[in-house]
Amino acid sequence: MASSQHVLLSPAELAYLHASLSLTPPIRPDGRSPTQFRPLVAETGILPGTNGSARICFADGTEAIVGVKAEVERTAQRPGEETVFLEEGGAGGDGDDEEEEAGQGLDKRKGDASWVEMTVEIPGLRDDDSGTAFLAAMLSEALLADGEFAKRLWINRRFHWKLYLDIILISPPLSYPLPLLSLTTHLALLSTRLPRLKSEGDEDPFFDDDWAAAPYLFPRTTSSSSTPSSTTTKSPTPAATRPPITLLVMAVGNNIIFDPSKEELAVADVALAVSVTGLSPSHETETGGGTAGEKQTGRNLRLLSIRTIDPPSRLTAPGVANAANTAYGASNGTSNGTQKMAEAEAVEGVWRPPRGGAKRMVLGALVQKVLERGGVVDEVLDALEGADSG
Amino acid sequence: MNDRRRINGPAGATLAPFFDDAAPQDLDTRSTRSRPPNATRKLLLKTGVTPSASGSAYLEIETSAKPGLSGLKLSCSVHGPRALPKSAPFSPHIVLSTHVKYAPFATQQRRGYLRDSSERDLGIHLETALRGAIIADRWPKSGVDIIVSIIEGDQDRETSKLQGDEVWDMMNTLSGCITVAAAALADAGIDCVDTVAGGVAALVQDADDGSAPSIAVDPIPSEHKRILAACCVAYLPTRDEVTNLWFRGDLPASDLDLYTSLVGHGIQASKNANRVLIDCLSGTVG
Repeated sequence: MASSQHVLLSPAELAYLHASLSLTPPIRPDGRSPTQFRPLVAETGILPGTNGSARICFADGTEAIVGVKAEVERTAQRPGEETVFLEEGGAGGDGDDEEEEAGQGLDKRKGDASWVEMTVEIPGLRDDDSGTAFLAAMLSEALLADGEFAKRLWINRRFHWKLYLDIILISPPLSYPLPLLSLTTHLALLSTRLPRLKSEGDEDPFFDDDWAAAPYLFPRTTSSSSTPSSTTTKSPTPAATRPPITLLVMAVGNNIIFDPSKEELAVADVALAVSVTGLSPSHETETGGGTAGEKQTGRNLRLLSIRTIDPPSRLTAPGVANAANTAYGASNGTSNGTQKMAEAEAVEGVWRPPRGGAKRMVLGALVQKVLERGGVVDEVLDALEGADSG
Repeated sequence: MNDRRRINGPAGATLAPFFDDAAPQDLDTRSTRSRPPNATRKLLLKTGVTPSASGSAYLEIETSAKPGLSGLKLSCSVHGPRALPKSAPFSPHIVLSTHVKYAPFATQQRRGYLRDSSERDLGIHLETALRGAIIADRWPKSGVDIIVSIIEGDQDRETSKLQGDEVWDMMNTLSGCITVAAAALADAGIDCVDTVAGGVAALVQDADDGSAPSIAVDPIPSEHKRILAACCVAYLPTRDEVTNLWFRGDLPASDLDLYTSLVGHGIQASKNANRVLIDCLSGTVG
């Protein structure tokens, strides 16, 4: 697995790193604050042959490219549902229009998880590596968790878009690549456009040639006035949700640290990958619901998925305390007793890999910190939106 | 030349008439949950079923969806701890490798013999759950293989339409995998800090009328109208620690209490499974 590659740090270095990260406030090796991300360079729309693409380069040299390709695919008809036959396609379409005029709010669109295919490629890892499958499953899980995303790919009752998301890490994986891949995917999806649909109802789909008229998959709130076509085609879409982002969070002692580097992850007590999505700020007043009375900052976040990441700290070598070290005068006999003793008690400044799981409180605190209003997620989403439009 | 030795059928084939006057298909065959919302299904756990492995266990969960249909059936074997090959790099800990494989006939859709991505994904989840429980530094330079085969998946065969249930089925499967692997590890005599067991809880909506969703422990996806969110927890009861947490769904961030109680119910389910696990293991010893 990618998170558990060998870390070339001695037990003494690990102990030092752990101690400095447990301080209040923690001192990180690269001088960041606990919630600060690594600086990054981002650009979108770099691949002209795709429907949407993005590239992100972290300051530590890891770099990823994501390309999004869409294909029209026939929807598999299953018995029992309202089956559409080819002959009645046109008539059904007419009926649909009337229905749509009658009940505008009714959302007939359906989505299926198989309409999105995600592949992750990491250099140096085999294609069938479990870690890669885990990363791909995590990223697509976040995308499909609310069921709304797949509905966007619905064309009519007979056809849908099949979306291929291909994620390629260009550089060797110098750190656990999850945040990088997630942010790049987010940007690529933000820049994804699908051709404007010209046909109506359940006809065979027919699209507008004009790429400039193609609406964004995630409609932009600011540019909706400049492209009036997007508002007419996708009127029932609640255009507020954004693609999800997955953040890597870890806990050391009492501290919660975002976007850990490889060395920091090597001393983590717990590491979690938390996927969230945010509603864009302009829409939150109408969707705000219960707390609409007070002044709100930041956006409404939704929790989509959480996965525990096996921290590589469990695979590090333990340090040996002086009391148990024969070089410092410990008895050299059959040291079964001393070994047991060394296992039992922790000595200050001697590295011991964490054992057992995480307390519920710690996990709860990690999730709460991620979901804080106006917290890290807001900062990241704002920055990414700036990168996309700028 | 006519064939006169046999009595042939008429030249023009006909179809037997078929009268479609049987009772119209009841589209809403969705069975409802008969258990109380905080009760898990019955569990059968047995250790030592594979003599050639150093540790093994078998787990069966009854299904309450349809009588006569069996639910999840898992078999786990543990091979090791054994010495790593000479070519492998030095490891100060036991090297854990987990394989989860559906039998080709285990689910509605046939699975191939090669592990697909969802099986690999389950394998990583299982590894995370077990790695926290095993005291890994007692076996340097050695490895252990944990192989879980899913003989029968936990799926309702009556439902013809697939409605994204497989995803929630995966959580049930994972919790079973964790429990059965913990039993097999104990059977193999590998030191653990505690027996780890899996539990699932889900936030379900049974009625369409916008009523408040409720939390159900050990859910069967086909018994509920909609599953909004679910979590699978691997829990160590005596240390009160969670080694693996997998949450999936859609929850508003303002409602963190809902998430907390979902995890709490998952832990409750895991405690129930753990009781069966302890009973099974103490029965073997005593």
